[in-house]
Amino acid sequence: MKRSHTVISKAVSIMLVLILSVGLTACGSGSNSSNEPENKPSNGGTATEEPAKNVELTFWNIWNGSDAYMGVLNDKVSEFQKENPNIKVKIEQMPHDQYKLKLKASAAGRQLPDMFVVWPGAELKPMVDGNTVLPIDDLAAEYKDKLIPSANLIDYQIDGKQYAIPNIVVYTHMIYYDKDILAKAGYSEFPKTYAEFKEMVVKVRDLGVTPIALGNKGQWVLQSCYISTIGDRMTGSDFLVKAMSGEKKFTDPEFVGGLNVIKELTDLKAFNEDMNTIDNNQHLDYFVQGKAAMFVEGTWSLGGVQEKLPKDRNLGLAIFPAVEGGAGNPQALSGVTGQGVAINKDIDPGKLDAARQFIRFLSSEDTYNRLLAKDQLVPATVTVPSDASDTLKQLISLTSGGVAPVYDAVLTPQLTEIINNGLQSITMGTKSPEEVASELEAAKAK
Amino acid sequence: MHLLNRNKWLIWLGISPSLIVYTLFCMIPIGISFYYSFQNWDGFSDPSFIGLDNFAALMKDQVFWSSLKNNMFVLLASVLGQIPIALLFALLLNGKLRGAKFFRTVGFLPVAISTVIISLTWNMIYNTQYGLINTLLKAVGLEQLAHNWLGDQKWAMLAVCVTIVWQYVGLYLVIFLAALQNVPAETLEAAEIDGATGFVKTIKIIIPMIWGTILVSIILCISGSLKTFDLIYVMTNGGPAHTTDVMAIYMFNKTFSSFQYGYGSAISVAIFVVSLLLISVASRLLKVKED
Repeated sequence: MKRSHTVISKAVSIMLVLILSVGLTACGSGSNSSNEPENKPSNGGTATEEPAKNVELTFWNIWNGSDAYMGVLNDKVSEFQKENPNIKVKIEQMPHDQYKLKLKASAAGRQLPDMFVVWPGAELKPMVDGNTVLPIDDLAAEYKDKLIPSANLIDYQIDGKQYAIPNIVVYTHMIYYDKDILAKAGYSEFPKTYAEFKEMVVKVRDLGVTPIALGNKGQWVLQSCYISTIGDRMTGSDFLVKAMSGEKKFTDPEFVGGLNVIKELTDLKAFNEDMNTIDNNQHLDYFVQGKAAMFVEGTWSLGGVQEKLPKDRNLGLAIFPAVEGGAGNPQALSGVTGQGVAINKDIDPGKLDAARQFIRFLSSEDTYNRLLAKDQLVPATVTVPSDASDTLKQLISLTSGGVAPVYDAVLTPQLTEIINNGLQSITMGTKSPEEVASELEAAKAK
Repeated sequence: MHLLNRNKWLIWLGISPSLIVYTLFCMIPIGISFYYSFQNWDGFSDPSFIGLDNFAALMKDQVFWSSLKNNMFVLLASVLGQIPIALLFALLLNGKLRGAKFFRTVGFLPVAISTVIISLTWNMIYNTQYGLINTLLKAVGLEQLAHNWLGDQKWAMLAVCVTIVWQYVGLYLVIFLAALQNVPAETLEAAEIDGATGFVKTIKIIIPMIWGTILVSIILCISGSLKTFDLIYVMTNGGPAHTTDVMAIYMFNKTFSSFQYGYGSAISVAIFVVSLLLISVASRLLKVKED
């Protein structure tokens, strides 16, 4: 009797689990269909005109972080939703590192959504070559030299065709530093030369503070934010193109010299020890917690630092100083336009107009003005408001010294992977700058 | 048996659903991978046939060999770590230990937790500045033992393996516990009457009686460690600088991050060959012992 009782109770509990899980799945899928009644044209009231055709656009982006531009763009998307109830934008958001991977894999598998955020240059090229992105030259013509100067559209052009309209301008290099810590180390202003910079690193370290917080787990930080600008100080801005065409070599001393800066900084113990196991969000945390005197990341971080940094701390902005003997312009910064939205080549023709309408709405003068108000640099020629914050003014003056290429926008994905790993090897001391350079040169020759 | 022999088509009918699924989603993709491994292909444009070039490059690729070495490291750590630890705990919990049920649940818990959460948690435990291990070491004055666990090439692989062992001990614990339940009490009682101590009983009776289960667990362990991917992907993504790359991660990154679909396919073919070799060697070795 007892035995049969336990068997029954076991059976009952298994049934319960099954019912629960079925119920949960049903709930999960239910949310998808809950929109249906909204989409049906309403019969009652004053609606006399023909209801517009309902369209659903799928859209992938990375705007779920704390960067200031993300908030502005998300606001614009929801306003678009309100103004165009017949167009439903179905959004999927992912963090940057995962997004890039998923975008590439989905492009190869032809599983892309109707619209997606793309990165210019080398990231975009294989997708264009693979016939997965729709050219939008006619849309670009509406912007060209009117709202956006043609020079700022070039990044998103492949073989003369336009594939997206940039929403922001990013400089991938900016040094954010704590003025008080530097003052304690004896510096009332940021060093002007690399030699002085190294001296400062030692002095800050002697205070018991990590000179530079670095989170390079994602591998792109050292490449995109450091070597793109530091390398340019050594080589000048035409080096990458010449290296790719075979006119110059990665093993040339000026390029190796750029990599050597990373080695020197590592040897000076400028970075936190765990630089390769934490990511860029965590290096921001180290800085905010006062564990580090500075960190290096693109202009996109500005909003996040300002928001998180306690009010009693003084934030300073600087760029990497001139390197003695370098061939490059010491004011130049690696920069690129970004966050442009591209359209899937295989998009249903019935949805195309809605997609264009969306991009027109998203990349509008109003958006660029709002981005500027949030201290974000924009590709459009909109006037800087007279009440612009001091930070924005400083940012604009710091970034006006010339534009250098960003490595991962120019190098092929394969070379980018090699330099990303190579820079990590240099910081671990497992490879010398010369070895990384010859690895790059060997891979290029293939 | 003779009944089944007469109706062979019935057997085929019975296995056809799973056979079709298996062919569609396992056999055919493996075949396609072989095909692509002979091509130079970026995933988008038309592939071009390059013969054995991918494999020639693979043989010279140091990162591939170090990832294979890391796979072997994971395999050894799993077989020599998970199985003995799980067996020890199973033997302890099988006795009349107080709170055995509680410990069993605790032991099995990591198996039920999502790998991503495990990876993130252990990342924090290993963190150099505020991680549990280093904080503990510093608190008891053993600062010289505190390391940059995941960032130092000497320690990274070991740190990852400890997490893998921790994650799967519970699985084998439960398997062994189930096997121990089937050891007949009469045999043990008889041994006790003959004067066998607990240790002798374990070595001479219990372990031989569950040996079959142990062998199966070892095979599971080997195949599991060859397909290790998710945990390392989240913890280190093979980094820093390929230090913790295993074959699957190297294949994934080559294929999907650097658009080398042909080369990536060649790596997966290599994974296929290595796995086939290891599993067949292991099952042959273990079968000999079984006889």
